[in-house]
Amino acid sequence: MTPAGAAVAERAGGRSGVPRWLRPAVITAGVLVLVLAPLGFTENTYIQTVLILTLLLVVSSSGWNIISGFAGYVSLGQGAFIGVGAYTVGILSRHTDVSPFVLAPLGGVAAAALAAVLGLVAMRARGHAFVIITIAFLFLMQTLALNLQSITGGSAGITLPLPTWSRDIGELPFYYAMLALAVLSVALAAWIRRSKLGAGLLAIREDEGKATAIGIRTPAYKLIGFVVSAVLIGIAGGIDGYFLTFIDPRGMFDILISVQIVLAALLGGRGTIWGPVLGAFLLQPLSEVVNNYFGTRLGIRLLVFGGLLALVVMLMPAGIIPTIRTAVRRWRERGSVVPFIEQPVRRAKPAAAAPPEEPAVPALAVRVSDREPVAERPPLLEIQGLSKRFGGLTALDGCSFSVREGTITGLIGPNGSGKTTVFNLVTGIVPGAGGQVRFDSRRIDQLRPWERPALGIGRTFQITRLFKQLTVLENVVAPLSHFSLRHLASGGTSGAEAARARELLDLVGLGAFGDRTAGTLSFGQQKLVELAQVLMLEPKLIMLDEPAGGVNPSLIEHLADLIRQLNRDGISFLVVEHNMPLVLQLCDPVVVLAAGRCIAQGPPQAIQRDPEVLGAYLGGDGSATQGLPEGSGAPQGGAPVGRGGPGNPRGVPR
Amino acid sequence: MKLAQTVLLGLLTGGVYALLASGLTLVFGVMRIINVAQGALLILAALFTFEIWRRTGLDPLLAIVVTTPLMFGIGWLLYRGLLARVRAAPEAMTVLLTFALAIAIEGFMGLIWRNVFRSVTPSYFASSFHVGGLFLPKGLAAGCVTAVVVLGLLYLALTRTWTGRAIRAAAENVQGAQLVGVSVVDVAAVTFAIGIATTGAGGSILSILQPFFPASHYVWISKLLGIIVLGGMGSLPGAVIGALLLGVAENVTSAYVSPRWSLVVFYVVIMVVLLVRPQGIAGSRLREDVAA
Amino acid sequence: MRKFRQVPAALVTLLLLVAAGCSSNNSGSGGGGTSKPLVIGASLPLSGDFAQPGEASRRGYTIWQDMVNKNGGLLKRQVQLKIVDDASDQNTVVSDYNRLISQDKVNLLLGSFSSLLNIPASAVAERNRMTYVCPSCGSPDMFNRNFKNIFFAQPATAVHQADLFAQWVKSLPADQRPKTAAYPAQDDPFAQPVVNGIKDQLEAAGIKTVYSKVYPADTSNFDTIASDIKNAKPDVIAQGAVFEDGVGLVRSLVKAGYNPKAMFQTSAPSNGDQYSKGVGVANTEGVFYAVSWSPAAKYALNQEFVQAYQAKFGGVPEEDAADAFAAAQVLQAAVQGVGSIDDQSKLSDWLHTHKVDTILGPLSWDQRGAPQQAFILAQWQSGAAQVVLPQAVATSQKIVFPKPDWGSAG
Repeated sequence: MTPAGAAVAERAGGRSGVPRWLRPAVITAGVLVLVLAPLGFTENTYIQTVLILTLLLVVSSSGWNIISGFAGYVSLGQGAFIGVGAYTVGILSRHTDVSPFVLAPLGGVAAAALAAVLGLVAMRARGHAFVIITIAFLFLMQTLALNLQSITGGSAGITLPLPTWSRDIGELPFYYAMLALAVLSVALAAWIRRSKLGAGLLAIREDEGKATAIGIRTPAYKLIGFVVSAVLIGIAGGIDGYFLTFIDPRGMFDILISVQIVLAALLGGRGTIWGPVLGAFLLQPLSEVVNNYFGTRLGIRLLVFGGLLALVVMLMPAGIIPTIRTAVRRWRERGSVVPFIEQPVRRAKPAAAAPPEEPAVPALAVRVSDREPVAERPPLLEIQGLSKRFGGLTALDGCSFSVREGTITGLIGPNGSGKTTVFNLVTGIVPGAGGQVRFDSRRIDQLRPWERPALGIGRTFQITRLFKQLTVLENVVAPLSHFSLRHLASGGTSGAEAARARELLDLVGLGAFGDRTAGTLSFGQQKLVELAQVLMLEPKLIMLDEPAGGVNPSLIEHLADLIRQLNRDGISFLVVEHNMPLVLQLCDPVVVLAAGRCIAQGPPQAIQRDPEVLGAYLGGDGSATQGLPEGSGAPQGGAPVGRGGPGNPRGVPR
Repeated sequence: MKLAQTVLLGLLTGGVYALLASGLTLVFGVMRIINVAQGALLILAALFTFEIWRRTGLDPLLAIVVTTPLMFGIGWLLYRGLLARVRAAPEAMTVLLTFALAIAIEGFMGLIWRNVFRSVTPSYFASSFHVGGLFLPKGLAAGCVTAVVVLGLLYLALTRTWTGRAIRAAAENVQGAQLVGVSVVDVAAVTFAIGIATTGAGGSILSILQPFFPASHYVWISKLLGIIVLGGMGSLPGAVIGALLLGVAENVTSAYVSPRWSLVVFYVVIMVVLLVRPQGIAGSRLREDVAA
Repeated sequence: MRKFRQVPAALVTLLLLVAAGCSSNNSGSGGGGTSKPLVIGASLPLSGDFAQPGEASRRGYTIWQDMVNKNGGLLKRQVQLKIVDDASDQNTVVSDYNRLISQDKVNLLLGSFSSLLNIPASAVAERNRMTYVCPSCGSPDMFNRNFKNIFFAQPATAVHQADLFAQWVKSLPADQRPKTAAYPAQDDPFAQPVVNGIKDQLEAAGIKTVYSKVYPADTSNFDTIASDIKNAKPDVIAQGAVFEDGVGLVRSLVKAGYNPKAMFQTSAPSNGDQYSKGVGVANTEGVFYAVSWSPAAKYALNQEFVQAYQAKFGGVPEEDAADAFAAAQVLQAAVQGVGSIDDQSKLSDWLHTHKVDTILGPLSWDQRGAPQQAFILAQWQSGAAQVVLPQAVATSQKIVFPKPDWGSAG
């Protein structure tokens, strides 16, 4: 079970029989212990120091977790924000008389500003490139702190005055300030996790391209995530500077601090709320133990940290908490019989009852009775002269066709004819190189990918791209209908959107699977979930990329029924398929692509016999004997047997 | 004259950098692993060279014959033992692993050799050729020549031997390579080992150029990353170009601005190139979905 | 199952606190049982960037401990050193001293190595009102915080370290005096002020600055810098070095074939064999340096220190070891002067008002804790380090000037 899944399970409440009040009670007890504990040790500044450093690590690790655990952008430079916060406080307190405690929030502001700048540019890099950039950023900050001597004091550093309170209080003010920040960090992480922002960040981690296809404005999300991850670290850095009374480039921008931050979160559980806390509480005392007992042995500290990080990455990359959860779940399920789940091939009946409550029906359209003939309906999607090359390969070469409103249009063609490329260009996931795409009379080919779903275009993928580590329900609530800070802050898997998601899952027949991890579903079931995802955004046009591919026949029937029913409710479809029987019974008209161009459009029967179409599939002059088979059940583009005779002229609609 | 001297030093140093960076870029090109531990392994090789020189007096440039196979073996073991386990993991996790390796190696070196500066000082280490008004430090010149020779051998190995072709095949298309009988796992281990073997030669050369101690590896990995990013990650010719360019840039900055800013050149290059033109000068563009 | 997340965190904290509480109860050393050892705590960088001088400092402290204990201890108690490693890291040095003070409850403190570490560490000591004598904390920033309990156990702070050299240069007759000077310096809070001090004095005397640049601490390739300096053609080169960079610049100057008339370096040349092996014995001839200590100086206990070091560790002691020894001597003097360790402020008051004889010579401090003496000017001559100024403690009557070309030992 995923950390996310368990979160959902808890929110569902008491499923495992544990009372709901237990969790908040334990958390409160833990916080109380931390609040009261030092009062018993006021003379022991050592313990206070260790705890302060531990709490600093909690704050840093929790912050790191937001951008690196949730969003998956691993940063090895998060420690730089501690330095930024500390230097802000140091520089300001050189020139003013204000207590560094009051200045600390400004450290957070500085960190946020820097994160915004870095985020704006660095977020375009992915994977390893991003990690490298964060490392370079950290070293760069260190060099700047060293070289800008007049501002930062250079290598001599900045010395802050000693705290003014009585010695008997020891380090307690630092401790409580850090504790407050730690509590805040964890609360912030928990809140984000539950919000739409968090759902989007997780989606970005799982599959960034897919996230853009469902309306998630990835640059904005990443930027917000990165800024939020840095703010509290900056404040904590300001306090840390005051605590040390000495701020210098070596100490403040030491890469080992960043390594510790990463290690704490990884050890405890990347992407979980409490993982960083656990990791910090394990790591800092460990660091102390190593210093105390082995400190005089040179290099032991480095070996321990390096070795521990390596072990965690190799053996337990998920971290302690998820590993324990999985182990516990396995233990609980040991020997139990895997329940048989009735295949959800329910016919349209329960769904037919849904329309009245179902807000998925677009406001436009539906008037089933006054359906015009296909030819007279306005074009919903128009593709004009679309071209695309990948290096030396021309995928599309002046392709033009249109999808009329209210139709289920098929798009067929031999492999390599450019069908999926058309989809990619329409949704914007691949940049185009010539031609126009108009949707609802509006030109869309210049829009960013995440702006297009809001216009009413939904798309599924040939190989399903669900967020495999999230639950089915989380997958379906992930799409973002509109971008606003308020909307981002709203709940993800609770509230109106969740209710609607569940309805859609019922519609596609997977209502019972809401809490299952998406990766555990069968391929066909995943396709249904993708469809539900698409429906969340109330599309006018749904583009299906090989919906029947790899799906068992009874589920294909179910899919076809669903498509027809949704079409009756007013949604247009553009379906890429190789399954000819399905195409012929479902789609009208059918568009044929070959070698990147549209070579035929028309009703399915006409297309079946069109010699050019046959030529494209079979090669040669199209004088093959039969047309495309009608019900012979050869799916997946098996060689169609041609049938002779001139078909209708190309491009003439019925 | 100052400019000429500065550029000359930059080119010579760049030649050595090219060898140091070649292993890093090779490993990335074939396996998409950024081995952040390359710097630490360089220092390790330099320490081995130091030990050999200290005990036997063998000239460090000749010690390459010993250190290269030694590092090859270490690289092979590292791959088999550690990196092979994370082949399926996301890229960022692999970077973390190599980083952890770098730190662990630094700790190990500190334990065995203590955190003191070392350098190898054969008889010619502090003398120069004087040509015109310019001076060419002998150690640097010899090191550069050696680096070029080793690079040349590496290039020949990659293009003329079956193993080399297998490596390049596996880099281009894993499944295709498997279909023609290339065992990709073995190739991966060998590739990584070759990449680490270059640190053997590189470390030996390094040992006469500059003093080094375990924590020096951060400086080196920053420089090497800058070089391969600029040249194009995965491209050997790119690494050479990047190394020469940055060797000169580093020296020119040191001479005309201030030595304080010369390392910043590398950081800035890393950040700017990765953002503006991720494939660098000679790298190939990877097909990825639009991210932003 | 949900409890798993919170319980570990709380449990670990509780365990930690309980364990710490128990151990702190156990390690309390009570008042003044005379048979109990006198524990002196210090944190040193035994690993990391300052490992080399850190280790030297440790040796200095250790020799002192051996000598004191052989002579009956301090206040009739055997001295026990408790040295921990801060890995050249500031966070660690702070928590080390916190632990030494409040958990291990050491009786006395000795300082760490390098201003970078001593600045934050001394704040901990000051907060706990314990006397803090440090062997190497010459940065001006140590002394601008109005601390009452810190003492730098070397003859002068960084800015004044090279006074004797500057004075000597100014004292040369006009036809021999250098006209131009170069000031390469490492970006270090100690090395830089030394060179700035020289620069100010020489510029005031009309010697033109033709090169003045700072290089980062991790610089190891000096060829370009040497080429740059060569281009500027200075008569005098005064380098603010720590160690490796001092060696590196000399090597690069040799490679570049540039021979200044006089060469001064901080710190590096004081490292005995390490330096001469590093640059090559033939290249040491004529290099000046200011040093807090000389093995040949005839101050009390100096020869015993050198012999004891030789016996225990082999070779000539490094300057850092001697400084550490001297710091311990200072502390010892205060303790013996006051006669008890109950009130550390008395120790500090005593030090503010007394002079202490150490192997570095007599030391005394102003109310900020900055020492008031002058450094020795030393020079490498014929492969050995010699004291040349002040005359009173000089071991060689001649000063090698102009510096012979690289590679020709005198």
